[in-house]
Amino acid sequence: MKMTMTLLFSFFISLSSPAWAAEPDVPSVDEIVSQANIMAYYQGRDGKSTVSMKITDKNDNVRTREFIILRKNDQPGGDQKYFVYFLQPPDVRKMVFMVHKHVAADKDDDRWLYLPSLDLVNRIAASDKRTSFVGSDFLYEDVSGRGLEEDRHELIEVTDESFVVKNVPKNPESVEFAYFTVTIDRTTYMPMKMEYFDKHDKLYRTIESRTVKNIKAEEDGEEVEYPTVTESVVKDLRTGSTTEMIFSKVQYNIGIEDSIFTERYLRRPPREAMR
Amino acid sequence: MELKDKIVSFSIDHYKLVTWVMVLFTVACGAMIPLIRVDTDPENMLSSDEPVRIFHNETKQRFNLSDMVVLGVVNEHHEYGVFNPDTLRRIYELTEFAKTLQWDDPEHEGRQAGVIEVDMIAPSLIDHIEGGGGVVRFEWLMPRPPQTQQEALEIRDKAMSNQLLRGTMVSEDGRALMLLLPLTDKHLSYRVYSALNKKIAEIGGDEEYHITGLPVAEDTFGVEMFIQMAISAPLAMVTIFLLMLLFFRKLVLVISPMIVAMVSVISTMGLLIGFGFPVHIMSSMIPIFLMPIAVVDSVHILSEFFDRYTPQKGRRQSILEVVHALFVPMLYTSLTSAAGFLSLALTPIPPVQVFGVYVAVGILIAWLFTVTFVPAYVMMIPDQRLADFGMAVRHEVKQNWLTRILHRTGRLTSRAAGPIVAVLILVTGGAVYGITHIRINDNPVKWFSKSHPIRQADIALNEHFGGTYMAYLVLSMEAEGKDPVSDSVRTMAAAIRDKAKAIQHEYPKAQSAAEEIVGILDSEPFRNIGDWPDRLDYFSEMANEKMDAIPEAEDALFYAWDEMASFVKDKVLQRSFREPFKDPEVLHYMSGLQKHLEDLGLAGKSNSAADVVKKVHQELTDGSEANFKIPASQEMVSECLLQYQQSHRPHDLWRLVTMDYQHANIWLQLTSGDNRDMERVAEVVDTYILDNPPPAGMEHRWAGLTYINIVWQDKMVWGMGQSFLGSFLVVFIMMSLLFRSPLWGLLCMVPLTITIAVIYGIIGLVGKDYDMPVAVLSALTLGMAVDFAIHFLQRSRDLYAQNRSWEKVTVEMFGEPARAISRNVLVIAIGFLPLLAAPLVPYKTVGIFLCAIMALSGIVTLLALPAFMKLGEKRLFRPKAAPTGPGCNCGFCIVLSIAVVVLIALNLHQYWHMGVTRLTWISLILVPLLALTCGILSRRKACKMIEENKT
Repeated sequence: MKMTMTLLFSFFISLSSPAWAAEPDVPSVDEIVSQANIMAYYQGRDGKSTVSMKITDKNDNVRTREFIILRKNDQPGGDQKYFVYFLQPPDVRKMVFMVHKHVAADKDDDRWLYLPSLDLVNRIAASDKRTSFVGSDFLYEDVSGRGLEEDRHELIEVTDESFVVKNVPKNPESVEFAYFTVTIDRTTYMPMKMEYFDKHDKLYRTIESRTVKNIKAEEDGEEVEYPTVTESVVKDLRTGSTTEMIFSKVQYNIGIEDSIFTERYLRRPPREAMR
Repeated sequence: MELKDKIVSFSIDHYKLVTWVMVLFTVACGAMIPLIRVDTDPENMLSSDEPVRIFHNETKQRFNLSDMVVLGVVNEHHEYGVFNPDTLRRIYELTEFAKTLQWDDPEHEGRQAGVIEVDMIAPSLIDHIEGGGGVVRFEWLMPRPPQTQQEALEIRDKAMSNQLLRGTMVSEDGRALMLLLPLTDKHLSYRVYSALNKKIAEIGGDEEYHITGLPVAEDTFGVEMFIQMAISAPLAMVTIFLLMLLFFRKLVLVISPMIVAMVSVISTMGLLIGFGFPVHIMSSMIPIFLMPIAVVDSVHILSEFFDRYTPQKGRRQSILEVVHALFVPMLYTSLTSAAGFLSLALTPIPPVQVFGVYVAVGILIAWLFTVTFVPAYVMMIPDQRLADFGMAVRHEVKQNWLTRILHRTGRLTSRAAGPIVAVLILVTGGAVYGITHIRINDNPVKWFSKSHPIRQADIALNEHFGGTYMAYLVLSMEAEGKDPVSDSVRTMAAAIRDKAKAIQHEYPKAQSAAEEIVGILDSEPFRNIGDWPDRLDYFSEMANEKMDAIPEAEDALFYAWDEMASFVKDKVLQRSFREPFKDPEVLHYMSGLQKHLEDLGLAGKSNSAADVVKKVHQELTDGSEANFKIPASQEMVSECLLQYQQSHRPHDLWRLVTMDYQHANIWLQLTSGDNRDMERVAEVVDTYILDNPPPAGMEHRWAGLTYINIVWQDKMVWGMGQSFLGSFLVVFIMMSLLFRSPLWGLLCMVPLTITIAVIYGIIGLVGKDYDMPVAVLSALTLGMAVDFAIHFLQRSRDLYAQNRSWEKVTVEMFGEPARAISRNVLVIAIGFLPLLAAPLVPYKTVGIFLCAIMALSGIVTLLALPAFMKLGEKRLFRPKAAPTGPGCNCGFCIVLSIAVVVLIALNLHQYWHMGVTRLTWISLILVPLLALTCGILSRRKACKMIEENKT
């Protein structure tokens, strides 16, 4: 009985689905997106990197940002903690942005902001995560990742190199896009390109992974290599603005303490965050 | 046979050829009309390299500013105004619709032109920041239309709590809401306007919708102007035609002036377009100006022909006589009118120059065809069709009301010459008083009559909001990267040690870090580096090396190092180039200036980076009114500005300040687009800056369409004034040459001087704004009024030569010549009254003015000239010497020379911007020199010969 159902099901799929549905080594779309999510946001148990950001507007005015980002996973694909410490521009040095990311659909992320000169710690109220990250073209959600269950995923194209997944928001009112597509490298599962479309099916925003490097790290006493995006670029086609983000001094599994990701450390960040 | 008779005989003998040549010429010129390019942009009143325009465009680019269409929604019925679910849903729908108003850009392949979605201001597209109690919130103000009244009111309260929105997007009373739709190109505004109007018609509801903004007004004006041209010009033509028919009662004959008018209008416009000039608001008025002038000469011919024609004499002889008598005055009237308009070419405003030159060209074309084609046309009419034509046949002399009035006027001028002159002097005096009260002002929105939707929108929205007219006050502080406080290591070391002491309680290792740092600065390699940016790089490198080497166990030293190194980089070595518009002192200054403008009620609303900082500071702290302020340090300001950028629209900040913080833009909203009001704002700002010295190095300049308008207005008023003076002199010189006497030349100038004085006096007294059409009309006045004077004087002189008594001349002058003038006055004055029905104010103005100019100059000519001539009969009509060359009359020569010198001086002044003093010197040398030349000339042998012959 069960067997016939499966057969029948795959028969219908093969009738209605594109050619690759029949290909044996094409995983399900859910597997693809969850694997891609882990590649992009969950490499290692923890990680640290220095990020420099270059924002170029349509008139070629350039602004830069530099910060150190610390991350620690509770478990792969699950909750995470982020600690972002600003080095540049000089007048916002020591500013800190901290996130406790919760993947459960009914639980919003906790976010904090520390402003050293005003000497203020503010919680950022659970609201829109699709606002600009420090004035760049990256959004908060691009930095910490978008919850997988917020979209319906559909595999729309398979080539020799990549899978293309279309993501349609379940709650369209909460976001400014109608859908976005992600091009995922077939071998590494690294998301290489994201394209955002508006209600009129017009492309208005792209994010590209320009460089992927294999970063050596130790995992359970063994040497491993984590493929890592070290250069990524976002373009806002409507404003003509572009932001490049370059990751350097990338380190994994350095044993970052949980205690670092607490309000106490916002005012006096740990040395890991500063060097 | 004189040249003039040759021309006429040729036309009469080869009338077919003349007609064909004219037709071919017209067709050839007319064929270029389809190449028309329309330019309705008042910005082009200034040439594109005008500094204010260049700066305006730089400002737009620098601050990413666009010209905007303003869409206002007003709800006067609902208890909470626009803040109810229905209205907000419609506003949401309109916003979504406005986003779609984009089309492929014809100029840039692959790009879109139209409404710029990301810069739109609408409740669903902007952010709301709210803080207090240690929590900040960034969210869309209206992510979706509200479902309940409660939600609608929440949106209202959020919007009202934001200083940046109150008065800009929402009205203080909550009755109105304004959407700002920035455009990629202001020339798309009519398209956007039309599309919005269509959508509004579909959307229903009892709200009022208003669309306005300078770009819409300007663009819509352009479109409606051409519609008006197609209605008004032909309508005027028909009226003129009917009036002429009434006077001359002969359809075939009356057609000829109409043909001359058509031919000159078509060929002039054809030539203008053919030479590649775009048709601007000014040049679109060419037909309206050309038509009366083209008709005038033909009416003189017809009028004379009507009076002289008898079947016995026949058409050939009659027309020969007529043209013989009128040729010289017609030539001169055309030349003077042409000179009057040509003088506009001296005005430094390109469209006015084109206008002046082409009206002049048109006048000469009209003259050419009047003297050639009208006689040829008369020859084409069979004699029998003229059987019942002419004064002689109709015996109208006695019955006609016009002839009766003219007779009486004639008698009056000779009996009461003194009182007439006295009255005229009084009237002129009154007029001069009026002129001193002229108010120079213009406003493109007021080019629409009060009932026009754009004007209505303007009134309604400016009542509710801080204003729909945008002006940008750009403040700049060019701060170069400053050199360090001192290049002496000792001074630097002292500063570093002071700092270390100051932070020691927090960073116990600060002192040891400081010593290590001083060590680096005191080292040989550091000192050997020549310039400061390189020294800074070197220091940063060294510092990083040192800090990396600090062992894990010595965190305290690391923290101290980090703190001290950044102090040295930023403060001692001046890494952070000064960013003046983050400086609290500078922001306070801007804030003060804004408050001053708002307190005086000049700006309805103003927004600047200072307002952004205050608002963010308020929300980051406790949300209280007390914290709506600029924080104390530059770092705090930076934090506020960075927070503002963490929104959905970070780019909004760059409309108020540049990314390098060297320039800031105070965005002013004015409730009135009157140039007078903008001028006042500019003045007040200048005074404020003078009275309250700004932080060192701050400069200010204006941009924005509202400001550009006052710049070209200023140029226009002074340019027109000077070019008018210039053409006045040209006409005077020409008249003196024509009559071979400066005295007669002067007399000829009397009617037009009085006419212009009275017209502009009335404008001043009535309080009508002196705007673009009014300014241009002065040129027309000059042309028309001198026209009548020439005809009158030339004929008087001819008649005096025959009669030798002014009494007798008066009787004759108030016969046929006066009738011709009166007919002309009536035809044109009444002919242009239909313009009053136009919905565009400049057309109305032109209509009223043409009527007034014609009536006044006619009346003044007929009253003033005979009165003056009566009084000065002896002096004017001295027994005339045999004709001598102008060079032989010394006084004449000198007067002309002076006039020419002044004329040249005027031109030099306008084009080379020479100061008055330098010009005075040149004149002081030139005038005696010319006088001397005159004296020598008049003592030539040739002159003596003539004198001797005479005696």
